[in-house]
Amino acid sequence: MRTHTRLAAVTLGLALAVGVAAQDLTVPNKPTGTLKFAVIGDSGTGDSNQYRLAKVFTDMHQRFAYEFVLMMGDNMYGSENARDFQRKFEVPYKPVLDKGVKFYASLGNHDSTNQRMYKLFNMNGERFYTFKPKDGVRIFALDSNYMDRTQLQWFEKELVASGSDWKIVFFHHPIYSSGGRHGSDTALRDQLEPLFLKFGVDVVMTGHEHFYERLKPQKGIHYFISGGAGKLRRGDVGGEFTAKAFDQGHHFMILEIDGDQMHFQVISDQAKTVDSGVITRRKVDTEAAPSQPAAPPVKPVPPKDKPSTSTANPSTVTPAARNPAPAKSSGR
Amino acid sequence: MTPSLYVYIVVGCVLAAETPLAQRADGRAGVTATPVPAPSAPPAGAQQIPKGSNVNPDAGLVAEFKKKIEGYVKLRNEAEHASPNLEQTLKPGEIVTAEKSIGHRVRQARATAKRGDIFTPATQAMFRRMLRPPLTKGAGAADNKAIIKDDAPDPKDVPFKVNSDYPKDAPLSTVPPDVLLSLPQLPEDVQYRFVGKHLILYDAKANLIIDFMLNAIP
Repeated sequence: MRTHTRLAAVTLGLALAVGVAAQDLTVPNKPTGTLKFAVIGDSGTGDSNQYRLAKVFTDMHQRFAYEFVLMMGDNMYGSENARDFQRKFEVPYKPVLDKGVKFYASLGNHDSTNQRMYKLFNMNGERFYTFKPKDGVRIFALDSNYMDRTQLQWFEKELVASGSDWKIVFFHHPIYSSGGRHGSDTALRDQLEPLFLKFGVDVVMTGHEHFYERLKPQKGIHYFISGGAGKLRRGDVGGEFTAKAFDQGHHFMILEIDGDQMHFQVISDQAKTVDSGVITRRKVDTEAAPSQPAAPPVKPVPPKDKPSTSTANPSTVTPAARNPAPAKSSGR
Repeated sequence: MTPSLYVYIVVGCVLAAETPLAQRADGRAGVTATPVPAPSAPPAGAQQIPKGSNVNPDAGLVAEFKKKIEGYVKLRNEAEHASPNLEQTLKPGEIVTAEKSIGHRVRQARATAKRGDIFTPATQAMFRRMLRPPLTKGAGAADNKAIIKDDAPDPKDVPFKVNSDYPKDAPLSTVPPDVLLSLPQLPEDVQYRFVGKHLILYDAKANLIIDFMLNAIP
């Protein structure tokens, strides 16, 4: 009996230790002075997959108190009645909503435009909007479903006004992607990339693809795809753009901006760190230098329990069934 | 400059201002307008414009189309004023109620509306002309078609009926920027969307199909 008890205690201790180690933070998690936020995408299924990840996601807030969450779109699959808003958003994220964490949504192809009126999505009644969560950081939410002239003109005007802040842009459809199912939205790229380059956008975050992908910097800009907070498409990612990918489980991202550095960590529904690193912001004079300097490389930050690399890990990356898009056109 | 030449230039500029953004050399629309050479023979429904003129032959049709859209928006605004406020709220049920009420009142106000009221035959011909370059010419044409098709609803899931609700279960097609920049600009909340090869005019506020044209995609 005593042996069994001791064995059980050891097992429990080991299990807890592994669980804690798996969630070791690679982000600095400074008590003050930094900006902490999180990213989820393609979340609104209302099913057990969303809830399982949401549990890890909301538990994480106890260790890493992210101030707000960026939603990459497809916030609500299927019907959108009042109960759906509860089942697909309010209930799974209640622990952090109750703590005052703000969610900022962008619209996906499964989202009604009128989601902009839902206060907990903080869209201020607009399809596209911008906000400044902290001095020196400017975030833009775009509606990539309907990139019309009005939106493009608005975006350019806001970029001009944003000065030398960190510029982070998020929307649903990736303009670079190694996904076999969707791939790069090159038409959107043709319109947005010149603005990103002209005004020194630092980081672009999207969803739509139901996996995680960190892309090799494209023309000096860092791109992330995070579309696996509710949906998952295995075996769909990997190719020439890929710096790191994960499609073997659902995931979310946590990020921390500390001066000119943005730390990121990607965590799976098994509470495992699947990617991490640091982006150092470029110094860009947007008025004097229209051509951009090369992006400093992402510096991988391994979690304490195991090493991580900045390149695709064969154990977590399944090659796409089809060849991914080349840098220009025929990317779908 | 002679007075007649001056008048000619002014009229040309005014009409050109009504033109959707011009096509780029590669067949895709850009944000910078470039002159469009007038076709040798005016297309069906277009104005008769002297050869060599810099005037958009579709200017009259575009103006007529925009006038119809303005009429619709005025009607929708009245429906909105008579409905519970569609405003920012913590209660999603209020959004749903307001949206349904606007849709209901719009349906009442245009009970006799039918297919082709806005997409008249001449307007449809113009739209097909406008859609041809971004969807058939240049390196981006195949991508644009693929983007429209990607995650777009199945035509059998969407009722092709004027004044009907757009089904909430069906995704909304992504409309490539090239395509949007090729078409007449719409007021906020009135949108072009594709369902299969067909184009619908969609009221995003009322979640309602305003009009549609079949086989719009070449």
